[in-house]
Amino acid sequence: MATASVYSSPGFDFSNQIRNNFLAEKGLPLPKATSTGTTIVGCLFEGGIILGADTRATEGPIVADKNCEKIHYITESIRCCGAGTAADTEFVTNLISSNMEMHALTHGRKPRVVTAMTMLKQYLFRYQGHVGAALVLGGVDSTGPNLFTIHPHGSTDKLPYVTMGSGSLAAMAVFESGWKTKMSREDALQLVKDAIAAGIFNDLGSGSNIDACIITPNHTEMLRNVEMPNERETKEKSYKFRRGTTEWKSESIRKLIVSEEITPIGGDAMDTS
Amino acid sequence: MPDMVSIGQPQQRQFNPYSENGGTILAIAGANFSVIAGDTRQSEGYNIQTRYAPKVFRLTDKAVLAVNGFAADGSMFVKKVKQRLEWYRHAHAKDMPLRAIARLIQTMLYSRRFFPYYVYNILGGIEEDGSGAVYSFDPVGSYERESCRAAGAAQSLVQPFLDNQIYFKNQRPPPGTSNPTHLPLHEVLSLVIDSFTSATERHIEVGDGLEIFVVLAKGSTTQGLENFANVQEMTQTREGERMFNIRRNLKRD
Amino acid sequence: MDHIDMQQIKNGEVNLGTSIMAVQFEGGVVIGADSRTTTGSYIANRVTDKLTFLHDRVYCCRSGSAADTQAIADMGHYYLQMQAQSLGSAPAVLTAASLMEKMCYQNKDQLSAGIIVAGWDESGGPSVYNIPLGGGLFRQPWAIGGSGSTYVYGYCDATYQEGWGRDETINFVKNTLALAMSRDGSSGGCIRMCVITEDKVERLFVPGDELPRFWEGREVLGEAKKPTINRDVVPMAVEV
Repeated sequence: MATASVYSSPGFDFSNQIRNNFLAEKGLPLPKATSTGTTIVGCLFEGGIILGADTRATEGPIVADKNCEKIHYITESIRCCGAGTAADTEFVTNLISSNMEMHALTHGRKPRVVTAMTMLKQYLFRYQGHVGAALVLGGVDSTGPNLFTIHPHGSTDKLPYVTMGSGSLAAMAVFESGWKTKMSREDALQLVKDAIAAGIFNDLGSGSNIDACIITPNHTEMLRNVEMPNERETKEKSYKFRRGTTEWKSESIRKLIVSEEITPIGGDAMDTS
Repeated sequence: MPDMVSIGQPQQRQFNPYSENGGTILAIAGANFSVIAGDTRQSEGYNIQTRYAPKVFRLTDKAVLAVNGFAADGSMFVKKVKQRLEWYRHAHAKDMPLRAIARLIQTMLYSRRFFPYYVYNILGGIEEDGSGAVYSFDPVGSYERESCRAAGAAQSLVQPFLDNQIYFKNQRPPPGTSNPTHLPLHEVLSLVIDSFTSATERHIEVGDGLEIFVVLAKGSTTQGLENFANVQEMTQTREGERMFNIRRNLKRD
Repeated sequence: MDHIDMQQIKNGEVNLGTSIMAVQFEGGVVIGADSRTTTGSYIANRVTDKLTFLHDRVYCCRSGSAADTQAIADMGHYYLQMQAQSLGSAPAVLTAASLMEKMCYQNKDQLSAGIIVAGWDESGGPSVYNIPLGGGLFRQPWAIGGSGSTYVYGYCDATYQEGWGRDETINFVKNTLALAMSRDGSSGGCIRMCVITEDKVERLFVPGDELPRFWEGREVLGEAKKPTINRDVVPMAVEV
């Protein structure tokens, strides 16, 4: 804004940004959030829903976690894959999971997937995209299998197969060429694995292993690391350091065991048995 | 009406002729050999452009150049260096010595001081005295001779490892001994391979393939090189120096 | 006015760069929309339903930010449900439209939403209300909106006539949307339509390969071949 407006600007107060920019200029950049540059997918099949995710978490170009979990628990039969800012996806799914449990307790019946979806979209919309969570929500409830995507600004889509994250284009290419209606459990799991693999190998933000979660009306199966196509080979050399490798400037040896002398006074010693 | 975000404010737009294509290069000098290596992944943002784009090039039988940074500038720069070396060969009927190539690269880089080649160069090979050498450059031509250097995306991961394992930084030698000044070839090759497999684990822009060049000084033995898989000799002249190429796969995720 | 200011749409936001339409006829309204949702150049959803339920006989067509218009529609749906329960009768289209307009106007500096409200009610019969970007409520016999609408104002002006029946109106909507979708890059996919009358709400669907086609030019070499669609294409093997 060129000049100060007589009107107060709507929405959030960004005046701290000036301070933050000043600090950044002085060489004190803001802490970077761990982003899960991710491939996450969801897919409808004959008997339920399959969710899939890779397991790489990144901080810029550095791999922060080689085997993280991106399929979050909402309820026993509803799960949610998260992409975007790791802290946001973790917090928002935990919050809604807690609220869903409360909802189940107050109403005495299992809450539906749309309930979780509505809670998530209303929460994200309130924060106008500043809570950077891109989600794939899937589960089975009294109405049958349900699958949604939720974007950070709070918009939702309901589709039979969905992908999100930086690897979403690679994964969607696999779905668009291979998805059919009424697929068997085995075929659908293979398709989900192929979609995640496409993300892992073609998107730098995604990598390591494949997680999947199969949700059917009366059973949820979490397949942690169903496929591990990126195991590290053994190193050429051992890097065990010889004892005494590290230099020291001074040495002081202290006894850590505290000993004290006990003098019993009068009569028998206390019975401590 | 409250003013809308950035409407009416002048916005500068400019064409950016550079991009950054990831990858990492590394060179280590031994007493009578030199090892120069680089991964083969070329990327832009989160996309892999190709899984095999060489970054390490044979210049002569005793000189190898590794380039990293903006791939288009890199390949053009190598092309021009090779051309200058060919002209030298036609004029003097011999290959240019390593230290002369290093100085040539400096002048070529500095000639573009105000529109630089966005490239980090590492030159490795054998000097006229038969010692292994590594020269490293910044994009505008500042250079120095070292015995080990990493550059590129994973420089910050690899260089501290090399400082520890090659220069023995922060390592006290066993009592009554001193740390060696030069490591044997098989040891160096192991360090190079471990550097790249480790960088592949933790840096998203490193992976796919590893290409290692080994230059041996006149009259030296193969020093256990034959124990490594996929070794290919690529010596062309009979000057005495020998050059080998080793290829390995790296993880593709 | 209907044109969406791209500067205003927040970076990375899901956008309904849209073609939407509503037309009134004797006894009802026909509403229609394309099915494309985009994030930049990526199509996030190719079978979107932009015809959103507000009440039994009142629907809206959404254009602009997906998040904003979904939030507004959800709020509108909620209020109309509450009102219908307390008054014991179905709300008028005008009531729904004014409610939506109020939300669009009062929050204009935080929203990018262009909405068309249409439906049927006891007192007013069939009606169409246009609510452009910053608010405002305009009753029109026909209304178009979204980024694709700019291409087809001329067509609508030249084609629309009073006194059409159901089928003629459906064809008008279908043709207009097909033309808009063919010119506008942010519109496309298939056409969804709703016919809202006193008795029922009828949903119509036109797949992307059965859209009305108009003059598309001639191939430079020889006659244009009749497009053949191979329905049993084998999925491409994906190498990993």
